[in-house]
Amino acid sequence: MNMTDGPWLRTEHLCRFYRRGPQEVRALNMVDLEVGRGEFIGIVGSSGSGKSTLLNLCAGLDTPTSGSVLFNGTPLRSMTRKELARYRAKKIGMIFQSFNLISHYTALQNVEAALLFNDTPRARRRDLAAGCLSQLGLAERMSHRPADLSGGEQQRVAVARAVVKQPEILFADEPTGNLDEDNARQIADLLKSLNRAGLTIIMVTHNLEMARECAHRIIRMQYGSVAGETGTA
Amino acid sequence: MTARDIGAIAAGNLRRMKLRTTLTVAGIVIAIAAFTSMVSFGTGTQENVERQFNDLGLLSTMEVYPRQRSNEPEQEGMPKLDAAALDQFAKIPGVLIVYPYDPFTVGVRCGDSVIETRAQSLALTMLTTKLFSRIRAGVIFPSDTSKEAVVSTDFLKKAGISTPDSALGRRLIVSVRVSTIDSALSRVVTDRGRPIWDRFRKIRIDSLLHSRPYLLKTLRVEANEAVRRLVDGYFNARKTITDTLVICGVIEAERMGRVRVEQILLPLATGQRFTTSGMSSNPTDLFAAMSSGTLFGGGGDRQEKYFTQATLQLDPRIPWAPIKDSIEARGYRTFSFAQEFTQIQKAFIYLDMALGAVGLLALLTASLGIVNTMAMSLLERRREIGIFKSLGADEGEIRILFLVESGMVGLIGSAAGVLSGWIITRIVTVIAHVYMRREGIPEVQLFSLPLWLIALALLIGTGVAVLAGSYPAARAARVDPVEALRND
Repeated sequence: MNMTDGPWLRTEHLCRFYRRGPQEVRALNMVDLEVGRGEFIGIVGSSGSGKSTLLNLCAGLDTPTSGSVLFNGTPLRSMTRKELARYRAKKIGMIFQSFNLISHYTALQNVEAALLFNDTPRARRRDLAAGCLSQLGLAERMSHRPADLSGGEQQRVAVARAVVKQPEILFADEPTGNLDEDNARQIADLLKSLNRAGLTIIMVTHNLEMARECAHRIIRMQYGSVAGETGTA
Repeated sequence: MTARDIGAIAAGNLRRMKLRTTLTVAGIVIAIAAFTSMVSFGTGTQENVERQFNDLGLLSTMEVYPRQRSNEPEQEGMPKLDAAALDQFAKIPGVLIVYPYDPFTVGVRCGDSVIETRAQSLALTMLTTKLFSRIRAGVIFPSDTSKEAVVSTDFLKKAGISTPDSALGRRLIVSVRVSTIDSALSRVVTDRGRPIWDRFRKIRIDSLLHSRPYLLKTLRVEANEAVRRLVDGYFNARKTITDTLVICGVIEAERMGRVRVEQILLPLATGQRFTTSGMSSNPTDLFAAMSSGTLFGGGGDRQEKYFTQATLQLDPRIPWAPIKDSIEARGYRTFSFAQEFTQIQKAFIYLDMALGAVGLLALLTASLGIVNTMAMSLLERRREIGIFKSLGADEGEIRILFLVESGMVGLIGSAAGVLSGWIITRIVTVIAHVYMRREGIPEVQLFSLPLWLIALALLIGTGVAVLAGSYPAARAARVDPVEALRND
């Protein structure tokens, strides 16, 4: 493992409440979390336990009601919208359960899209994207659109898109949720190898078995709070 | 994201939605085509007027009139427009040529046709100005004393001459009937073969000495008879002056504003023979001569001649306003074509604005199409926007992306609209020219599409499209990525 001494990503009393009609929903309530550099964290819990909300807040896609997310000591709350966008463009990668590929782009264009926003020169984008897809075994599928790819292939394209910009943290939200067993296995192996290569990964999953197999630590969430934490190593 | 990336993504999105993009662009095309063709018509008309003003040299022409109008009672001290006044005008800096408008009625025999028309004698220097530059055939007369004449195209119609070329070299027998005081006086002495002493013989001389009523009655009767004979002699015993001239040129009869081109133009010295030999048959000339005490002093003396109008040719390099002020300060009225043209230009600006407004109304309607298209696009691409945001796009980049898309719709529509507008104007021009040829109207360009109009149409079309896309763009920028990327 390639962990550093201090936490790389930290949440402090993180809360996210929102209103649904007259009712206040506490999606996340006082969550404190520390993630070291090079760690693989698995977050498990039932639906509505706040796993994805936590991930979105850490990724800077959502704004906390209170508390803060600190990346390398810098609170995301102190960043302007533009700086937050730069954080997403340069520091993090994201994988979603439903892949979230742009349907009218080819596999190659989808991966290239990740390099649009991080100042990668136009001339290098295609080479980087093609190289990444080739490494993930999709060299023959580069010109295919998502609809022409299997679920596993689509998720591998999504992984390629997340890692092509060489992020410092990878957020994976149910990356195997829509995949069959074989494809889920392939994606799990892929994530493990990326982590072995030094990438910090925070993965939200329903699959406790997979979390145990991949993650160094498993955080169990319930009703918007951390219900427990177990180490797997 | 570079400008090239934004352009490529926007173009890709428009290509993907071919039908919707085509229909939206079509709306802009129609609106800009309407705008372009309408303003092009206004501009074309303006250019036509400008061209005619320039061709005739009107912008350097000024008309001068006496302050007192012909239908107003005479007032003391009003300066007359006479030869002395013309000499004064000629000395004003910036005035190149001064000539009076002094037409007279002539009888003309041309072949078998006998026509009564109006003629004007002009110095050669006047004919070299642009005002008289529209020569259709031949040349202007070579000198002020030559026995040649220039006729107008109107004269050809009257004389039944089919083409200007066929008029050249034809002989014109020009005659003017003038009244002279000599003919009037001779009629007092002898009327219809009856000498005045025949009347004297009938007077009872002895009664003249003894009967005062008879004396007064006889004096009144004889005075009345003498005046009757004088007036009768003035109007009916006119002298005819005849000259034979050759047509050397044909000039366009087109009338432009207050410029009058008479049907026959004569060399100055040749024409003076007609105008200095007596008075016209106009009764006012007679009374004018009587009231000015010059009845027996030889009518037609140039010093005593008053004109109703004079034309000044100005140096185009010198401002016309001071010249106008100088003449008006001397007590004359002026009419400046340059001043008139300034007013005309203002009117054309209003015309262009009115025509443009019609096109812009169409553009306003088309802009609703853009709002609709971009709003639909926003709904369909919420997830894509969420993905872009998760990949690091900021709100400004999303907004610009949408604005560029609507701007592209506007630019493509405007460019195609300008082209369509130009095609429409060409078609209308061809049809109009066929009609003009058939009606014998000189062909003119009805439309003009200058570069500034093309640029304006592109700017307005693109600008309105960007404006129309600004609301959907703002909404796109505000899309919540968490909502957009939600699994359901």
